Amino acid sequence: MAVAFAFLAPALISLVVLRIAPAAVALWESFFRESFLRGGTVFVGLENYADLFGNADFNNALLVTLVFSAIVNPLQIGVSFLLAVLYTRRAAGSKIWRSLVVLPIAVPPAVSAVVWSVIYRPDGLGNSFLALLGLPEQPFLTSPQQSLASIMVLLSWIGVGYWMLFLIAGINDVPTELYEAASIDGASAWRKLWSVTFPLVRRPLAFVLVADTVSNFLIFAPVQILTKGGPSGSTNLLMYDIYTRAYTLGDLNKAQAEVIILVLLTLVVVAVQFRLLRSSDSA
Amino acid sequence: MSAVNKTSTSKHRTLGYIGLSVLGACIGLLFLLPLWWTFVNSLRPGGDTFRFLNPLQWETFFTLTPSLDNYAALLSSDLGLATWNSIFVSIVTVIIGLAICSMAAFALAAIPFRGSGVVFIVVVVSFLIPFDAIAIPLADLFRDWNLQNTYTGLILPGLGNGMAIFLLRTFFLAIPKDLVEAGRLDGLGWWGIFRRIYLPLSVPSLIGAGLTLFLFQWQSYVWPLLNGTDAQHILGPIALSNLQGQFNVDYGVMFAGSIVLTVIPLAIIIGFQRYFIQSVTTTGLK
Repeated sequence: MAVAFAFLAPALISLVVLRIAPAAVALWESFFRESFLRGGTVFVGLENYADLFGNADFNNALLVTLVFSAIVNPLQIGVSFLLAVLYTRRAAGSKIWRSLVVLPIAVPPAVSAVVWSVIYRPDGLGNSFLALLGLPEQPFLTSPQQSLASIMVLLSWIGVGYWMLFLIAGINDVPTELYEAASIDGASAWRKLWSVTFPLVRRPLAFVLVADTVSNFLIFAPVQILTKGGPSGSTNLLMYDIYTRAYTLGDLNKAQAEVIILVLLTLVVVAVQFRLLRSSDSA
Repeated sequence: MSAVNKTSTSKHRTLGYIGLSVLGACIGLLFLLPLWWTFVNSLRPGGDTFRFLNPLQWETFFTLTPSLDNYAALLSSDLGLATWNSIFVSIVTVIIGLAICSMAAFALAAIPFRGSGVVFIVVVVSFLIPFDAIAIPLADLFRDWNLQNTYTGLILPGLGNGMAIFLLRTFFLAIPKDLVEAGRLDGLGWWGIFRRIYLPLSVPSLIGAGLTLFLFQWQSYVWPLLNGTDAQHILGPIALSNLQGQFNVDYGVMFAGSIVLTVIPLAIIIGFQRYFIQSVTTTGLK
């Protein structure tokens, strides 16, 4: 027992102090507020939360975050799945092309944001490509209609290859006899994809869905580097809103309440996804 | 009739093979493009970054006069120092983090003790709370503890990694208990069993866990932004993003910095490719 704790102590202390304690502190402090009259802080219960939900900027950030996740997660997973299918087919050089898709996962998020900030400039690479296709110049990051989509494209460039790795591993685990059996039954390629591959990669697909959702709730670097939440709040995702609330507005207690809301939101969405996946498993 | 059918299906096959190959190649190259363009621009003067963009031409993606000037300039710039900081912080994290995490994983996998269930819950909970989300309250605590703008402050949060513990524990569980018995008969204590039996047998999973720890630090942005922004302790990604948006940016040097910050993890991932894929996929599937 003592031996076990000697082995565990360093990791356990670091996890408790550096992960669990700050979450507990955030929860605790979210019930307090700076008091200028008395100095120090006073207990205000759920008032910080109530204020947040009555605050237009917060509500906008919440809405932007939900819209963003509702689009970006299915998009990334769909693309990763199709790419995983493509790159597990017999074709020339598919291992090489596949590794090019995986390559961006080595790029730190801040680096990709900086590189894409140049691509998205009015005179940048993005518009050169549009010109090549005969399309008009686009404002990308400076347009409230395009900024969020521009960030989604950048994030998909980074993320799709990573999620594809899990799905490729899943597809490679499908026994080839199943495909042979399907071929003998005269199944078409689409039919095989839908009835053999898809159900059998459900487990990795479920993992990718949950992990992708969590990581997309926490997007920060591209927003901070590319748009600072703008133009007109169109890219103000929750993580960035928390950051500005804590450091620009200096309202740490309300920022802590927002941290709690973000963590809860993440946990709820993950729990719902698990429920849905499990019930569809038994069906 | 059947012969005709056969040639038509094989023709169909070849067409499909070529089609899939071309499609695969196009998509792969499209993903490479932003990085390749960055690389080419890191080899030419910053003033030329936007010269070949409109209209697109072969010189957009190639240069006949590559020079390493930007990389030389990088060495003497703040970004160079920041890159060294990133390297230092990541290496220390991997070494100490691996020691801490493998010890914890060993205790969870090999030593039977009361309360192991509770400890395991702590590990799982700590990994359910996304680190970036609690970075802001944690930065507030670090200010109180006077750890802001110190290497200790930058390194500490990367050490205890629930994912790495999980990974190593799974691997340690597969090591036969007979070996522990044999070690006991040879007079080894728990520490000896850990050092002499478990660690040597788990080099592949240690590499996998080390990669997890390394990438956590190398890619982190929120934490070093909150905790280390003075000139001595700034990390690569933060220094790079500070360049962006400044009025007088030397794009050549900025791109050279981007390439350096990308090539280092890339080289490590490629070097340990087997373990990387293994560690990535087993965490998701098993």
